[in-house]
Amino acid sequence: MEKKAKKITFEDALEELEAIASKLESGELTLEQSIQYYERGVELAKFCRQKLEEAERKIEVLQKQPDGTVQKKSVKVKEDTGEIEDDEDIQGSLL
Amino acid sequence: MIEEIEHTETVYSVSDITGILKQLIESTPELNGVWVKGEISNLTYHSSGHIYFSLKDEGAVIQAVFFKHANKHLDFKLEEGMSVVVFGGVTVFEKRGSYQFIVYKIRKEGLGELLQKIEKLKEKLHKEGLFAPERKKPLPALPKRIGVVTSPTGAAIRDIIKVAMRRFPNIEIILAPAKVQGEGAVESIVTGIQELNNPQWGVDVIIAGRGGGSFEDLMAFNEEAVVRAFAGSRVPIISAVGHQIDHPLSDLAADVAAPTPSAAAEIAVPVKAELIAAIDNYTMRMMRRLTMMVQSFANRIMLIVRRRVFQNPMSLVENYELALADAENRIQALTHKCITDTKERLSRVRDLELIIKNRLQNYWHIFMMNVSKLEHLSPVSVLKRGYSITLKDSQIVSSIKKIHQGDTVRVIVYDGSMQCDIQLVNEEVSFGKKG
Repeated sequence: MEKKAKKITFEDALEELEAIASKLESGELTLEQSIQYYERGVELAKFCRQKLEEAERKIEVLQKQPDGTVQKKSVKVKEDTGEIEDDEDIQGSLL
Repeated sequence: MIEEIEHTETVYSVSDITGILKQLIESTPELNGVWVKGEISNLTYHSSGHIYFSLKDEGAVIQAVFFKHANKHLDFKLEEGMSVVVFGGVTVFEKRGSYQFIVYKIRKEGLGELLQKIEKLKEKLHKEGLFAPERKKPLPALPKRIGVVTSPTGAAIRDIIKVAMRRFPNIEIILAPAKVQGEGAVESIVTGIQELNNPQWGVDVIIAGRGGGSFEDLMAFNEEAVVRAFAGSRVPIISAVGHQIDHPLSDLAADVAAPTPSAAAEIAVPVKAELIAAIDNYTMRMMRRLTMMVQSFANRIMLIVRRRVFQNPMSLVENYELALADAENRIQALTHKCITDTKERLSRVRDLELIIKNRLQNYWHIFMMNVSKLEHLSPVSVLKRGYSITLKDSQIVSSIKKIHQGDTVRVIVYDGSMQCDIQLVNEEVSFGKKG
């Protein structure tokens, strides 16, 4: 189960989690099955929460270098509003 | 002739005729939803917000009305003598007995050709299947990194960053800076889309577009190379060109079309708090259900445990013990009764002995009395009292008829016998005195 959870996508995990919640609520399961589903659900919920924290909050802009390669550089923004702190930061060109 | 008409034909009112005319004109396809080329004259910007003008060419003139609700999207100022292409339809104004052209859109002349060119390209790409629904890729539910192709100086990128961060605070955004209008815009946009498709940037979804502008400003997003870049994007792509009326072709080629860059960010980026709430909700529902189940089992176990047997296991034996003691008591009592009864009966047997003895004694007594009675009856005692027995030939003589004179008889008395000879037989019986 652990391995399988690592491979699936966030939306698959969320969908399965919802299905498990519904399945449990249906009352069709034995106690043992319920515990198995519950364990799987907890696994999926954990996986989903991890996925939500994977992104690292960064704004970047691509810039073509004199040598022809493309590099990214960071753009500072205000955490609360998302406003760009220095307009110079975001200037660039790929041509 | 006139009289004949008056008598046989229906007479219409002016309103009837105008009504028929109105219906006829307004239901004619060639007069509605059409583009008309002409020159503006008698232009009036009315205080109500409506714009009135005449549209004319060398041979004809038609009155035109551009109502407020339709002209609010107009992005240039109309001028007297301006060559334009208008889109709309002819309608009849009954009160004045006139017809006029109701305008929905106006383009400067020259745009007409451009529109035709776009229409042709659209047709061509459509035939190629570039806009086919089955080509559309689904957007990821949880993109980690958003790629944006737009101008670094415009409002679009700023709007996107704000909206995206508000929805998902730890989102990652990478901008491919592009020129979105004028010289070099096409090449710039195409390069941006292609660059962001490079796996090294780890982009999950692309937003390519710009804020609103005039028809000409948005032209880059109608260019074949740009439209093809949208269609060819490996990464799911959202066309985000601010527009009022006409969709740019990029909208058709993209996986999703958004009316503005802000809207595109809303489509691309989920609200993190909502996702967390959903996960929490599912988790809570699962937990609640399982807790309920476990609780119900626990209750059942409690009920079983509360039964007396488990509370006091000795009670199981107690009953038997009681029964056993009872049985013992009953056996004892019975045995005792048996013994007592037997004893009593035995004692009764001893009494019987006594009774028998008594009875025997009685019998003995009676017997002895009878014996003494018998003694009285014995001939000896009779003889003792003076009686005698006369025998003849050993036979007792009880009557004179058996005796004859001269017979010898034996007379037995108490203490001996005598032999006597019969001298006389007398039938009379007398004792002493008479004889």
